[in-house]
Amino acid sequence: MNQRDLELLSAYLDGELSPSDSARLEARINSDGELASALDDLRAARTLLRKLPKRRAPRNFTLTRKMVGLNPPLPRAYPVFRFATVIATLLFFITFGLNTLAPQLAQAPVFGVGGGGEPEVFSQQAPALEAAPATEAPAATMPAIESASDLAPQGTALPPVEESARVVDTPAAKDEAVGNAGDESQTQIMNEPQSPAPFIPSVWLTAFALIAILGAVMMAAMRRSSANRWK
Amino acid sequence: MNEQALITDAQSGNLDAFNTLILHYQDSVFNTALRILGDEDQAADASQEAFISAFKSISSFRGGSFKAWLMRTVTNACYDELRRKKRRPTTPLEPDNDDGEEMDSPRWLADPNMTPDQQAEANDVEHAIQHCLDNLPLEFKTVVVMADIQGMDYSEVAVAIRVPLGTIKSRLARARLRLRECLQGFAELLPASYRLENGIAQ
Repeated sequence: MNQRDLELLSAYLDGELSPSDSARLEARINSDGELASALDDLRAARTLLRKLPKRRAPRNFTLTRKMVGLNPPLPRAYPVFRFATVIATLLFFITFGLNTLAPQLAQAPVFGVGGGGEPEVFSQQAPALEAAPATEAPAATMPAIESASDLAPQGTALPPVEESARVVDTPAAKDEAVGNAGDESQTQIMNEPQSPAPFIPSVWLTAFALIAILGAVMMAAMRRSSANRWK
Repeated sequence: MNEQALITDAQSGNLDAFNTLILHYQDSVFNTALRILGDEDQAADASQEAFISAFKSISSFRGGSFKAWLMRTVTNACYDELRRKKRRPTTPLEPDNDDGEEMDSPRWLADPNMTPDQQAEANDVEHAIQHCLDNLPLEFKTVVVMADIQGMDYSEVAVAIRVPLGTIKSRLARARLRLRECLQGFAELLPASYRLENGIAQ
């Protein structure tokens, strides 16, 4: 008996052979004791497997919406709020970024020239340094202070007026500088602009922030309301 | 139960319709997983995973035997479970009796309609068969579980495990022969009504 005979016997047992194949195999089984014995073996194994007790499921496997990741249906207006919130948030950050970076970008080449120690150029640029936003002042003035201290020992000291104009850039040193400088320099500092006009009016910044916050709040309320209705 | 209507509803996202199908098939799915995995907890996990996966992919069901399609899902879940088991082998936790000894047949698995003797016989047979099933190669075990334990026909098994009909015939014949040889080793342990004397179980 070969593998092919074994497959035929197994299929015969399950009624999977055509009538003609079944008749042919039955004739062989009747004349071949080995085939008959193999058929009995297969039948015995199958019978035993069918006697295997059927277990009941230990619990119900029914699914919940959460298990399959189904979300409650949201109102039709929800995408509108989502779109508005995303756009407002993006615009807020773009506006904020532009207002923050634009003055810095405008000043960047100035530092390259002013740091070289040329007295005339430096004095002309001093008001530009003052034009930077208050938050930028410490960072912007540090190189200038360093360059001044570097230059002093080499005998190329700057005129007193120019030096005081640089030092007042740092808020901590402003009082000291004002106290030491003459009346002329004090007048010059007071006349300089205190805060520059932002690249984009700050009212827009506030509007974008408000729209983003309101949109987020509305979306959260819609989601909560839908979830409550779904339950 | 109008199975086709429930399937159509489930395909349009109706979870209640799919849960009705689950209640109908959950015993078959669980038994298939149990015989392939040989562990009740893992079988329950695999069954749950199979139903979740089936709901998510029910739109891919294009007709034919829904049971075969479901069995393919549970077979895949069992293979995943076996791969996980191979990566992180665990020690089975057998429940203890009052004396602190491990129980072979926990009370909660017993069929209340059986006498204690019948239950003991059934447990012996079940352990013997499960032992022999566990010794089969996975591809043989899957075929024999579906054909002989679930009573599926060859074409359904072929759909469920995506192999040609000829391969099903070959694997089933060889699996039965191996099981026969294995179970003969338990001949003395099995109760009279289950013995393989003269080649035929009574």
